Amino acid sequence: MKLSKYGSLIKGGIIEQLQFRTSAILVVVCNLLYLLLIYFLWKAIYASAGTDVVNGMTFSDTMIYLVFASALFNFMEMWIAWNMGSDIRDGRIIIDLLRPIPYPLYLFCALSGNCIVKFVTTFMPTAVVVYFVVGGEIHLGWNILWFVLSASISLVINYFINLFVGTICMYTESIWGINIMKEVVVGILSGATIPLVFFPDTIRTIVMYLPFQAIINSPLELLLHTEYSLGQIGEIIGLQVVWLIVIGLLCNAFFNLSVRRITVNGG
Amino acid sequence: MKKRTLAYYLRIYLKILAQDIKSKMSYRADFFISTIGMIATNIAGVLSFWLVFQTFPSINGWNYYEMLFLYGFSLVSATPAQCLFDNNWNLRFQVYSGDFIKYCFRPINVFFYFMSEVFDIKGLGQCIFGIVAVAYAWIKLGIPFEFYSILLLIVAVLSASLFVIAILNLAASACFWLVNAFFVLTLSNQLRDFAKYPLTVFTPALRIAFTFIIPIGYMAYYPSLLFLRPEEVSWIVWLTPIFGIAFFYLSYKVWMKGALAYSGTGS
Repeated sequence: MKLSKYGSLIKGGIIEQLQFRTSAILVVVCNLLYLLLIYFLWKAIYASAGTDVVNGMTFSDTMIYLVFASALFNFMEMWIAWNMGSDIRDGRIIIDLLRPIPYPLYLFCALSGNCIVKFVTTFMPTAVVVYFVVGGEIHLGWNILWFVLSASISLVINYFINLFVGTICMYTESIWGINIMKEVVVGILSGATIPLVFFPDTIRTIVMYLPFQAIINSPLELLLHTEYSLGQIGEIIGLQVVWLIVIGLLCNAFFNLSVRRITVNGG
Repeated sequence: MKKRTLAYYLRIYLKILAQDIKSKMSYRADFFISTIGMIATNIAGVLSFWLVFQTFPSINGWNYYEMLFLYGFSLVSATPAQCLFDNNWNLRFQVYSGDFIKYCFRPINVFFYFMSEVFDIKGLGQCIFGIVAVAYAWIKLGIPFEFYSILLLIVAVLSASLFVIAILNLAASACFWLVNAFFVLTLSNQLRDFAKYPLTVFTPALRIAFTFIIPIGYMAYYPSLLFLRPEEVSWIVWLTPIFGIAFFYLSYKVWMKGALAYSGTGS
């Protein structure tokens, strides 16, 4: 049966992820340190601003946005480009390329298993803690549904961006450099570092036309802005879907083109 | 036996270093991409300040140029640790695999030999970026440009860098006693982000902790006060060089204690 093939790959990913408990704790602790830092920074920033609401965001809105941004960022981090890079260097990638399933699909199934575990172990606790800490400032309603829908699309867009970067590693010997550049670009342009509403107008307009905002900013906007009409919601999710298709096609084309010229050292 | 003078160590250092540079130069593309990646990370750091200051007037009374100075200073003071002591990041693997034993058999100081094996060139890119940031902020803030202040800056940077090195040494040496030592190293690296911001944004408890327990404050904030807020400088700031030397010596002793007690893995 076709489905069971993917099912067992996902299961494998789940089991694999459950093995790395200590590194999961480390991610949570590091994340807490990061959140502590931005909490104090934004508190100081808002204290100097003089008003409570800046560009339509209160201090707690900003914190909810940034906490969820970092939770999403961590939850979606797949280390694809790192793993692909080292698999290419030592030739192990050939085993995965020879499998009777397209490599991008194979990788996606295996990694979605990891993501399911990370969703339950890191994302859910964060969401629950934040909900109680901000004292019900997160509206519980249809926005949760839109958020989940939008975040699932984000996950796939992020996967394709990662795969694209991983494919670049086939051409360069560099893994660290390429990855760090990707993290910088995605971190800033997705809104994960600073909410996009604080960007100057012209820059924000440009950033909104780029695919990166669809990863973090779109789901968070749907979560925080309960006043959006169905038309606005449709627009945001529609744009995400368009990016998903465009990047998916682009990434597949680039991968298929590159895989033909790959040279693997032994393996 | 030759007398172990500073010149003797320097000569040995350069010889070992040359081998490292040679092996790095066989991956030239990697070197360039990594350097660009490193600089991109720093540009992103400055960019996020810049974005915040487009909307907000100050962070706890610190303006854009003061923040830039602090940020640049933290980059320059991190350079010696990044360039000269980067092998600390490999210590865990070497200790774990047993390869570390080879250093114990060399007729030369273990710490010296281990550290001299790796010189991280991309740290220089970060250093240049930091110097440009400090110089730019210096001019914009109108700090007088005198021989005395330049000398003070050099001493301040060197003392601050001792703290960065010492914390790296201590965190890395944890692997002599602990199995999951990457925890300590990753956490200490995450904590270093706190050094890039004024200590005054944190609560008093954290401020005390960053002054007396984990000396984060000395990595950039206290030495920067000498130039940015001369009127706020307390006696603690003038002791930075002495604290720095003492702390570095302590970290060296701890590192050596671990190294000399190392019994290998039996292979």
